[in-house]
Amino acid sequence: MRDEIPPGTLYMLILKTLARRGEMHGFEIANAIQQISGEVLQVEEGSLYPALQRMLIKGWLTAQWGATRENRRARYYRLTRAGRKQLDAELAQYRRVSHAIFRVIEGA
Amino acid sequence: MWIAELWRRLRVLLDRDRFERDLQEEMRIHLEFLASEHADRDAARRRFGNSTRLREESREIWNIGGSLWRDVRYGLRSLAKARSFTALAVFTLALGIGASTAVFSLVDAVLIKPLPYPHPDRVMIPWRLPPPRSDLGLDELPWGILDLRVFERTATLFEHIGAFKSDSFNLTGMGEPELLEGIRASAGFFRALGVEPALGRFYTNEEDSPGREREAILSDRLWRSRFAADPNILGRAVELNGFSYAVIGVMPPGFAFPRAAEMPGSFNFPREPQLWVPLALTPMPYPTQPSDLAVIGRVRPGVSTAQAQAQMDLCTAELDRRMPQAKGWFRGRVVSLEHQVAGGTRRPLLLMLIAVSVVLLIACSNVANLLLIRSLGRSREFSLRAALGAGRARLVGQLLTESLLLAALAGAGGLGIAAAGLDFAKRFGPPNIPRLAEASLNLDVFLFAFAASLLTGILFGFAPAIEASRHTLIETLKDGARGSSGSRSRLRSGLLIFQVALALVLAVASGLLTRSFRELVRVDPGFNPHSVLSFTLSLPSSRYSETSSITALFDTLLRHLRAVPGVESAGIGETVPMGGTGESTVVRIVEHAGDDPKQRPDAVYTIASPGYFAAVGTPLLRGRLLAESDTAETKPVTVISKSLAERFFVGENPIGKHLALGSPRFPPMEIVGIVADVKHLSLREGPAPEMYVPYTQKPYPSMLVMRVVVRTSAGPRAAAGYIREAVHASDRDLPVAELATLSSIVDQSLTQPRFAMLLVAGFGALAVALAAIGMYGVISYSVTRRTQEIGIRMALGAARSDVLRMILIQGARFAAAGITLGIAASFLVTPLIAAFLYGIRPADPVTFAGVSLLLAAVALLACYIPARRATRLDPTLALRHE
Repeated sequence: MRDEIPPGTLYMLILKTLARRGEMHGFEIANAIQQISGEVLQVEEGSLYPALQRMLIKGWLTAQWGATRENRRARYYRLTRAGRKQLDAELAQYRRVSHAIFRVIEGA
Repeated sequence: MWIAELWRRLRVLLDRDRFERDLQEEMRIHLEFLASEHADRDAARRRFGNSTRLREESREIWNIGGSLWRDVRYGLRSLAKARSFTALAVFTLALGIGASTAVFSLVDAVLIKPLPYPHPDRVMIPWRLPPPRSDLGLDELPWGILDLRVFERTATLFEHIGAFKSDSFNLTGMGEPELLEGIRASAGFFRALGVEPALGRFYTNEEDSPGREREAILSDRLWRSRFAADPNILGRAVELNGFSYAVIGVMPPGFAFPRAAEMPGSFNFPREPQLWVPLALTPMPYPTQPSDLAVIGRVRPGVSTAQAQAQMDLCTAELDRRMPQAKGWFRGRVVSLEHQVAGGTRRPLLLMLIAVSVVLLIACSNVANLLLIRSLGRSREFSLRAALGAGRARLVGQLLTESLLLAALAGAGGLGIAAAGLDFAKRFGPPNIPRLAEASLNLDVFLFAFAASLLTGILFGFAPAIEASRHTLIETLKDGARGSSGSRSRLRSGLLIFQVALALVLAVASGLLTRSFRELVRVDPGFNPHSVLSFTLSLPSSRYSETSSITALFDTLLRHLRAVPGVESAGIGETVPMGGTGESTVVRIVEHAGDDPKQRPDAVYTIASPGYFAAVGTPLLRGRLLAESDTAETKPVTVISKSLAERFFVGENPIGKHLALGSPRFPPMEIVGIVADVKHLSLREGPAPEMYVPYTQKPYPSMLVMRVVVRTSAGPRAAAGYIREAVHASDRDLPVAELATLSSIVDQSLTQPRFAMLLVAGFGALAVALAAIGMYGVISYSVTRRTQEIGIRMALGAARSDVLRMILIQGARFAAAGITLGIAASFLVTPLIAAFLYGIRPADPVTFAGVSLLLAAVALLACYIPARRATRLDPTLALRHE
């Protein structure tokens, strides 16, 4: 059973994945999120590509065509300085909120 | 931050294809990865989802404002489909935007752009004023040396003070002699303006003194035209009025201060000065010398006009204390140079700007009405889009985009119209609009046109868009696609009435200006300008220092001129009609010994030769004219004007009475004749008392610059040749300057009122035409809507004339409401243009009635065309009309 990605966290997941691995193409990003989450989180292609476009426009990512190890053409994404800042901001906010949620649930 | 984002979006927009291709390729590759993993191609595709939808979603992300690009493309398509509507709307708006942009570019050049001097706000001109309730007919008086010196001492807040006056200079010794118009200016003149010469230097205070003043500064134009832009001109000697002057500087291009257009007419400044020489005022003790100076000053930083005025008042008080006998004659007013230059043009230009804005408003409301009507025809389209889920905001956005597109097209067209209009104004406009040559379609003007287009787009687009989007799905269904919603037709009627009212106000204004121009042209100027040539004769003081040598030259010249075939009469005078006013002086009527000295006439004093009146065409009313028999040896005589006779010889015959000038040195002159009053500066001016003195008997001043008038039956071109020959035969070194027909001089004085009249009349005609189009549109739309109703009426027995009357009455109601509103508004507005009117009241009933009738007729005509169409309807077809 795979779960949908909670709303509002997709950017953060993409940013974090790229921050950890450096350059990746769309398929790798989707796979990485799926693997690292222990096959729990599945990125829908239908939301991945619009999200990547939006992040390009926001200036958080840059994209460049390159070749995979198997020498196949792919479009590689890379984090910009603005993207790194955005990641920090999103992470901080996420930690604050999830900590709060945790306390509410455990406290009850 | 958002700017960078907008920039990235713009880049996507500009390179759409590449971004589309990238995305498509990327998704294809993704599918391949998936396929190699899943082996089942279809499953992979299923997992991936609808790739077209995905692409569209991504596209939406790129777009500026999300849907703008789509709206623009949709709007363009829909405008292209409704070609005649688009053409009419764009044309209407382009006229409005173009006219306002052209007028704005004039306003920008004359009123907004700063003068080309450093800190122009610190340059001030102090004028002396005539005493209150004096009858001089002048608004400003020249300064004398004494008052200037006192001002220089009291005006401590001024950094620099300069004095200047106009003079003409005979350039000789290098080919054809030429009369140059120039300025005698003190050294402070240039420092007050803050300018620098392009070449060389200015003269110093020491050089600006009698005996050392033989130095000249040339205008860029003179330097180029007469000296071939010689870079080694500095130090070169030129011969002016028979004296040798050294050229020490050349001014930068465009510098020509003071131009006549920027200064009071009575100072007779040249249209464009060509050279500047030292004023060289005599030091103490000052000789008695006419007051003929203008003054300019630069105040210290931070000094206001009011503070400068306070110093002027100090100077007045000081002068009043020193010369109590002349108390009241030393008042003054300090004006900033910016105000002085824009001066008389400020109000006419603002008037133009208002008139043209009204035209733009009418154009806007016209297009708004067209849009409203169009949106009714599109209600099905809107319903469909609403049914497919378009929200109200989306519909309004789409319609506004269409309006802005219209406005953008119109703005582009308007710029073209503005460029053409500006070109027209430069070619045919009056020469006395200051800085007209500087007007151009610069950045300010582009911004104005852009803002005007944007504003008009929102203005005419907003109400119709809101109205149209109100028309929801359910209503349309309920209405059976037909009901005319009440609020919408109220808005249409309101817009129509508003248009008619505005058009009436403009038409009344242009009617008033046209009628006043006709009055102006019909004024009796006191002379007959047809087939008269005049030119200026300027004698070098070096060779013509004696009165006897001057009169001898005049005698020879007149004899030569009169011998030319075709010449009917020739004369010499200090001024010609409409060519400027002579000096005025207070005179004493010898026979009225008991008169209050304060009530003495102040008469314009003009030196004239025999033949002058015949040449100018001023009729003799009583007595005789100046004659050859009036010589230096015979008794002094004078001819006076009708107004002098009527005002100061009430109930008595002036002939045989005597006039005496202020100084007892001059013998009294016997009045021998009365001539008609003559206009000197403009046809608008009232008659001023005037006296003419024969040149053989003139007590003062020198006659170095005189005007020669020749009435001839030969054509002006042939006559010009004879005139030059006659002048050269009298003195080979004398130039013939400012040779012009008298009628062209009169005509020139009419260019400004004519231009203003034509412009406002053009705007008025445009407004009426736009209102007529608006009326036509609304009525013909209503006829279409009421086709079925009209069919029923006709089926029930209504005659065609009944139908015609019904439609016309509907139009007449609109027209009547608009005209009533417009008349009320005109009564409020026309007093504002009273200053531009001549011989006519702002509330002139003839104009009001005539214009109202005209507008009513035009409105009814605009209704008549659709009304006739209604009467031609076939009732059986009309009943079935949907």
